[in-house]
Amino acid sequence: MRKPLARVAAATLALGMSAATLAACGPAGDEAESGEPTEITMLVLGDKPTNGRLEAMLEELNPILTEQANATLDFFYVEWADWQTQYNTQLLSGDDNVDLITTATDWLFAWENAEKGAFLPLSEEMLQEYAPRTWEQVDAEGHWELTKLDDGQIYFIPEDNFTQWTNHGFFYRGDWATEAGFEDGTITKFEDFTTYFKWVKENKPKAYPWDVSLSIDAALTGYLQGHTDFQTIQGISAGNYFPFQTTEADPYTVTSWYMEGDELVEAAELAKEWNDIGVWREDALNYDGQTREQFFAGLSGADQHHAQTFIGTIVDNMNKKQPGSDPKFFYWGLENGNYFRDILTHGAMAVNATSANPEKALEVYDVLRNDEEAYKLLNFGIEGTDYVMTDDGKLGYPEGYDSSTDALGSNFWAGRMDEFEPDRVTDAPNKQEIYDQLDAGAKDYPYSTLIVNKDLIDPTLAAMGGVLSEYIPQLQYGKFEDPAAAVAEMRQKLMDAGYEDARESIQTDLDAWAETQG
Amino acid sequence: MAAALTQERVQPRETSTTKKPKSLLRSIVRNRVLLLMCLPAILFFVVFSYAPMPGAWIAFTNFNYRDGIFGSPFVGLRNFEFLIQSGQLWLLTKNTVLYNLAFIVLGNFLQIAIAIMLNEVRSKYFKKISQAVMFLPYFISVVLIGVIAFNLLNYDTGYVNALITQTGGDPIKIYSIAGAWPIIIILFQLWQSTGYGSIVYFAAIMGIDNSLFEAAAIDGASAWQRIRYVILPSLKPTFIILLLFSLGGIMNGNFGLFWNLVGNNAALFQTTDIIETSVYRMIISQNNFTSSTAVGLYQSLFGFALVMLANWIVRKINEDYALF
Repeated sequence: MRKPLARVAAATLALGMSAATLAACGPAGDEAESGEPTEITMLVLGDKPTNGRLEAMLEELNPILTEQANATLDFFYVEWADWQTQYNTQLLSGDDNVDLITTATDWLFAWENAEKGAFLPLSEEMLQEYAPRTWEQVDAEGHWELTKLDDGQIYFIPEDNFTQWTNHGFFYRGDWATEAGFEDGTITKFEDFTTYFKWVKENKPKAYPWDVSLSIDAALTGYLQGHTDFQTIQGISAGNYFPFQTTEADPYTVTSWYMEGDELVEAAELAKEWNDIGVWREDALNYDGQTREQFFAGLSGADQHHAQTFIGTIVDNMNKKQPGSDPKFFYWGLENGNYFRDILTHGAMAVNATSANPEKALEVYDVLRNDEEAYKLLNFGIEGTDYVMTDDGKLGYPEGYDSSTDALGSNFWAGRMDEFEPDRVTDAPNKQEIYDQLDAGAKDYPYSTLIVNKDLIDPTLAAMGGVLSEYIPQLQYGKFEDPAAAVAEMRQKLMDAGYEDARESIQTDLDAWAETQG
Repeated sequence: MAAALTQERVQPRETSTTKKPKSLLRSIVRNRVLLLMCLPAILFFVVFSYAPMPGAWIAFTNFNYRDGIFGSPFVGLRNFEFLIQSGQLWLLTKNTVLYNLAFIVLGNFLQIAIAIMLNEVRSKYFKKISQAVMFLPYFISVVLIGVIAFNLLNYDTGYVNALITQTGGDPIKIYSIAGAWPIIIILFQLWQSTGYGSIVYFAAIMGIDNSLFEAAAIDGASAWQRIRYVILPSLKPTFIILLLFSLGGIMNGNFGLFWNLVGNNAALFQTTDIIETSVYRMIISQNNFTSSTAVGLYQSLFGFALVMLANWIVRKINEDYALF
């Protein structure tokens, strides 16, 4: 990082060179149609697996792809270390060695990258011809509208047929909550965690009430969501933060929960109370340990992530590692119903703008998403070695399987299908009940088709991100002596950074969008 | 090093005074072995320093992938406005320069002191062992240094606070006290780099003409006088060259050390944020290539001006010590 400029440019140069070399060696497009299978490379997020299982799976998957699309599949990993930088740099480099790109509008910068020209616009004809099954399914539900920029072009394919809940909240222990005096061990209000945390502090001396690191705004967001009707506008981020909201009462006026109302100060004061109790490590800002493992080891009273993690990982692990702990999930907005269904572009697949074989790439995607045999190989691996089907039709794992070392790691999060997904033995037994409960109270995100032109406000957003990254973590961990004064100071700095200009610019886009909505 | 510099200064003069045609080619042929030895270094700088330079254009554009570096819309100095708008420019420049000055002044002082002390030590084994012990921290990864620091200094389980509570005191929230960190960072930097840096000075002392020491001994110089009148003046060229190099890098920070010691702890930014760490966070969390390129360019231009200035000053003092 000594010379970021030089680094980026050098990387571009190097990648360009290697891409040119590779292109020169590769088969020409025309020959590929009838001759040798074309290799399609898919960019996925995650650490490249080294246990050989992915390669073994590909040996079975590639014949299917060759037969159906005269192509083979290869993976390109953007690893978790520095993934935001790696991901955007990879797209920035214009590397034509990647054909399919995993993306998402809420966490993988899909709109930004589409606007910056990283993705190939997909014409309807192209989709109908090369990915007909996908086209039909997405079209039947009218979901292509969710993937268009203001030029009317489709830029990615949504993972719109896969149920998941990624609304965040606390995981806590029902057994401890019962002892702390909560009926059924169920906590129903955000502030009630003060009682729970105090009880843990006093009665479980080895445990932190909430051992946490790096989740930099959860304590504030949890409070704000449960005490206001603010609804966050996705896709306009200032650094790691989403500073622009509307309210349910007034859905056409752009505002910010960091700027308006007393709730941020209340949340910060609660965080300070928690810090004074010793809910987290004093040095949480510098601690980067595996706090989830601490929760599994009974050394933390709470953990924080989304519903999918609770259902897929937390319940199973806690029941095995802390029998009788009765893990529970308190999600933000539980008190007042202020939480949302997942947007359908939480996972999506784009075609690289510089791909040499965009049609082939779509053909491959269509097989991966719609052919059951290919889908199972890609997502679950080889039956018998990577997974087994139990007698009651659930997906389980063979004897001696250890998910931390034996995972397949194909990380296909851009086209999963409910109809091919069996229940898993590690799922929470009451999975359906949790889904039903979430579904009963959730709201639909109202702005799926809103596109905000950020060109003009990018420098402002960057400046605001700088301010927020200085204040929010300290507010979240209760590190300011006087939270109210700190919030006032932060608001002044955000104003100086140009908050009002950015808000007005977004308001203009929202007004225009509101008109098209009628 | 001095020999290499002389070589470089003599060579061009020789070719320029030779008026015969094809003299350049001839001198290339004549010096082919030397040039071949330079080739890796030349290639390195061409590939990593000169070739990427046009990319600095990003700093003046509203960059997008489709149009590329030179096709993206030109926006003049708008990206630089961010540097001022964020209010960070002054703080970053100040922190970066002050840290580097502290590293340079204290570092060189300690390195020279240690080199001289090592030279005075007569026991061969003690000399070798202490040299190795001081040398080792240089090979420890800054990631490990960050971990060591956290285990020493953290509030709940840190060694320092354990000592304090064992002796009846109240633990200190070191990771919340911004004022303490300049000292901590400087200490870790010195701990890591002094042993290594002293080798250069030690080698320079070894290279001093022995007849000077003999003459000093005959004149009855004490140990102190030998240091004052023979060793220190002989170290001056080495010191000036090293100083020049480090002045040129005064706008560059030791990113790894700062990042691993401080990380994302915003409570400490006021006293610990340097250009590198700030740019890094900007790319990591803001996906902001234009502004970070702008900061990089600012840093490079500032650094370039400093090198020119330092060289000019040195030239004024003593032309022989100037780099160019």
